Amino acid sequence: MSLGAVTRLELRRLAVRPLAWAIAALTIAWLAWTFVLGLGQFLGAQVKLAGMADAPGFTDLVAIPLLAELAKLAFLVVPLMTMSLLAGERRTGTLALLASTGLAPWRIVVGKYLAVLLWLGLWLLATLAMPLVVGAESTADWGKLAAATLGTALLLATLAAIGVACSAATSFPAISAAMALIVTLVLWTIDRGAQAAGVTGGFLEWLTMATHLQNLLRGLVVSSDLVWFALAIALSLILATRRLGSDRERQ
Amino acid sequence: MTDLPLLNVSGLSRRRAGRAAVTDVSFSLNRGEVLGLLGVNGAGKSTTLSMLAGALRPETGAITLDGEDFVARPAIARSLVGWLPEAAPLWPELSVDEHLLAFSRLRGSSRTTARKAADAIVARLQLGDLRRRLAGVLSQGQRQRLGLACALVHDPALIILDEPANALDPVQIGELRKLIRERAAAGAAVILSTHVLGEVVAVCDRVAILHEGRLRHDAPLHDDTGGKTLETTFFGIATGAGA
Repeated sequence: MSLGAVTRLELRRLAVRPLAWAIAALTIAWLAWTFVLGLGQFLGAQVKLAGMADAPGFTDLVAIPLLAELAKLAFLVVPLMTMSLLAGERRTGTLALLASTGLAPWRIVVGKYLAVLLWLGLWLLATLAMPLVVGAESTADWGKLAAATLGTALLLATLAAIGVACSAATSFPAISAAMALIVTLVLWTIDRGAQAAGVTGGFLEWLTMATHLQNLLRGLVVSSDLVWFALAIALSLILATRRLGSDRERQ
Repeated sequence: MTDLPLLNVSGLSRRRAGRAAVTDVSFSLNRGEVLGLLGVNGAGKSTTLSMLAGALRPETGAITLDGEDFVARPAIARSLVGWLPEAAPLWPELSVDEHLLAFSRLRGSSRTTARKAADAIVARLQLGDLRRRLAGVLSQGQRQRLGLACALVHDPALIILDEPANALDPVQIGELRKLIRERAAAGAAVILSTHVLGEVVAVCDRVAILHEGRLRHDAPLHDDTGGKTLETTFFGIATGAGA
């Protein structure tokens, strides 16, 4: 019950702060513009596509690029949404007050994580509504779209967990956002050096977030990709919980 | 009600920022008792209260609350402890009502129970006119009253108040004293940390004086002959002239 109380409290705080609304409005406007442009290009290329044997369809040319655009925005949006979750509360003293209600650190961490996850889910749904409405009237590849949506959802969940862990590590929301952005970028491009040296398929490639998202965006659901996302989320939330637990020792 | 003290503190020590903030503090507190905790700035009062509220873990020592090991099981604070920290931290974007409901729900109450508890504390602390107002726009005194309401909303057995009279006007201070006595009469144990000696004389049964992290004095207030004697004892300890 108290886990739900933490989630409700955080959702209420998200709902009354302008940051979440401003981010949602600006990013959805940008994504809608991207969608309209993509759709226009897709419609303009219909004659050319009709002559191709295995031509890419609406899903490949409009829906998945839109989700990839959302994934790019998420690199900035998610750290902004998570930066104050714990860092801001630690700074204002409300985190100690929360701890004094006898809540276990994991309940505080998971409760807040679920609140952000719900917001991100709604953000994804609002974006997805655009290709879904058009796709219902055309020949969308629903299986591929479902895999790409799963990949984007897992990416958002992972970025949120990283954001929560970074927010747990500091008392300064801005530092938390910067940390989350850097960690995400490192995870995204960690195999760049190996790629430049011509090495493929190694541990660094497995560690790279991009590898796992790209499979899903291509419509490939591979269990090792799902395991990677699950591990990244679990590890981040465990680190956040441990750091929060150590607040009682450190202050 | 049992004969055992509600709170038993033994050999409590804690370092903060590299120095000993609290050293070997021991005392106990019965139900219905009001303990005044006095000390100059930096004496270790807030650190002691943070440990008693479960927000800070002692390095050594034991805290037994209602017969249970509070250090090992801080979750028992959920229903037993209500804490008003010194600066009354609140969420500026939430209303008075939302704070009270949130604190009640966080302590495990159902929606209906939380609503009833919020209504009762709003009526008791005369917060009715402020219910829909955001914490961020409240005056310091109103924030203090809201912090107090959040600490009391679940009717805790141990009430920890750190400078609760900060920013309150004389009428509100009178109300606060009445409220503390009322809660004590209902069986709650209260720890009141303050700089104001008159506050202790007006409302406490016992007084403890912390100096440089150590408990230098712990005696029933009626052992002294009024505020003047307490003042002499306090200044004696604070200036190093003896306890």
